[in-house]
Amino acid sequence: MKYYKFGDKNGRYIGSNDKYDVYENTIASRIAENNEKIKKEPYEMYFNYGPSAGGLRESVNFNIVTPGETIRDITVNSYYKRRRIKIINDDIDTALLKVERINGFHSASNTVCFLLAVEDALNIDNHNSNNKRIIEIELERIRSNLDVIKGLCESAGFSVPEKQLLYLMEKVTRIISDTFNHRYFFSANYINNVYGNFDSIKLDDIYKEFNEIYNGLLESKIFMDRIQENGIVKDANSTGPAARASGYKYDARIDSKSLVYNNYNIFAMEDGDTFSRFMVRSNEIFSSIEIINNNLNKINNNKNDVKIENKSGEGAARIESPQGDIFYYANIENNKIKELSIISPSYLNIELFKKAIKNNNILTDFFFVWNSFGIWISELEVDFI
Amino acid sequence: MMWFLKGIKKRIKTENLNDKYKIKYPSVLEGKSDYNCPTGAIENNKWVKEKCIFCEKCDLKPTYKQDMYNINNNIPDIFKKSFYLYPIDSGTCGACNTEFNTIFSPQYDINRFKIFLSNTPRHADALVIMGVYTENMDKVIENAYDAMPEPKLLIGLGACSVSGGIIGEKISKKFDIEILGCPPSPYTIINAILKARGNVK
Repeated sequence: MKYYKFGDKNGRYIGSNDKYDVYENTIASRIAENNEKIKKEPYEMYFNYGPSAGGLRESVNFNIVTPGETIRDITVNSYYKRRRIKIINDDIDTALLKVERINGFHSASNTVCFLLAVEDALNIDNHNSNNKRIIEIELERIRSNLDVIKGLCESAGFSVPEKQLLYLMEKVTRIISDTFNHRYFFSANYINNVYGNFDSIKLDDIYKEFNEIYNGLLESKIFMDRIQENGIVKDANSTGPAARASGYKYDARIDSKSLVYNNYNIFAMEDGDTFSRFMVRSNEIFSSIEIINNNLNKINNNKNDVKIENKSGEGAARIESPQGDIFYYANIENNKIKELSIISPSYLNIELFKKAIKNNNILTDFFFVWNSFGIWISELEVDFI
Repeated sequence: MMWFLKGIKKRIKTENLNDKYKIKYPSVLEGKSDYNCPTGAIENNKWVKEKCIFCEKCDLKPTYKQDMYNINNNIPDIFKKSFYLYPIDSGTCGACNTEFNTIFSPQYDINRFKIFLSNTPRHADALVIMGVYTENMDKVIENAYDAMPEPKLLIGLGACSVSGGIIGEKISKKFDIEILGCPPSPYTIINAILKARGNVK
């Protein structure tokens, strides 16, 4: 492993899974938490929501403790859709098909991070592919951020901007489809290769149309009232847009060596509320378009040769997915997966959501706060067997 | 008022279903291949569409046709009037969920065909099940199905629910409508539902 080693805590906390706690530069053994069940006072009640209900895109259950209006405590039960994916002893090509489907909406981030870990394990030079990988991850970030802002508009009952953002999401999806032959980047990524026709990427319309919606939302007093000063959380153990919205300038595009971005300026806010997360997500749409345009000039469309000399090894990689740091550890033996581990940004984002929702919020704030974190259960609840 | 005017200014964005933009994968595949498919989607050199995840590794060629579905039972005429769907996620990767939401976007606007979302299975005509079988969601799906009024339909959306795809096991229920693809495109979803309701021949 070039950029990681097993050891004690070193650097900022990235997240955990059943086996590991991962920090900026090290992988440590997991320290189990003591999860106490929340208890209600006599004047309070449990409000149970999910796992399947209108308004929830994925299956997840919330157990809210409330005296009637405020939210005093919450547990998030994400285990309902836990998938057991048979991947150990698969060859890399077959494993790749499964990794693409860990979180299909963020397939590019998952696949690129997995391949970077594999390339680290097998000592494969990948510098010719990384500009293309940056382009696909930033395209994915644009679609993901549009989705989060659409969710906020939906929560506020703002149907017109909600539908306009859904329209823009589909436009971005069609650009992805025209470029990579698939609307979710499936089968576009291989070891040291990205297959796609990058000439079809034109984002000027997306920039212009999103700018109109963004300015319209900023001018709307009703929308601002609904998202300002709710869901406040400031925590050193945070990740992605939620961290940058609360003054922590964490970004794997700057502090990870796995996929290097040049000259990227972090946009950050200080207040840590839903509005700050909206501002970070919005401004990162503009910066992603700029990154893509800059990288389009640097790519060549040649297919790269892949020379695999080592067939065994262990590797790790961390990149900035749309929701925050995503980390993969891969141990490969004779070209087969011996061990695979993922740290999803949704792990930390759920912890942040729980802190944010308990911080002086009422039941009607729930969807604003939940949607502002852009959490995906699919990449959190997965067992590799 | 401001957003109403902003919406009007954009004019109609809904597309005619005949003016499809080209989707290469997933689309109907043709030809023959002897590839050893990891999902078993090639049997005796022929394509088994229910099992295909469109990984582009075999010799089958895409046709760009977006009508990959099976209608397994007669669909009652009552659903021609209006049709309410209740989606339920058994064990998805998120791509099927997103494509299902996309059919409500201005480009596709499935509401124009009198097809709507229901917030509860008690008001739904069809349960749309996405993703592979998961133990914890099995009971939830059963409860949702029991809560629906008669007549009711079961729709399987995506290769995972219909065949297990490459991730896991299929849903154990028999579907009235199977919508195929990994994930099915919005065109495939709309075509399947319209065909099943008898809106198109």
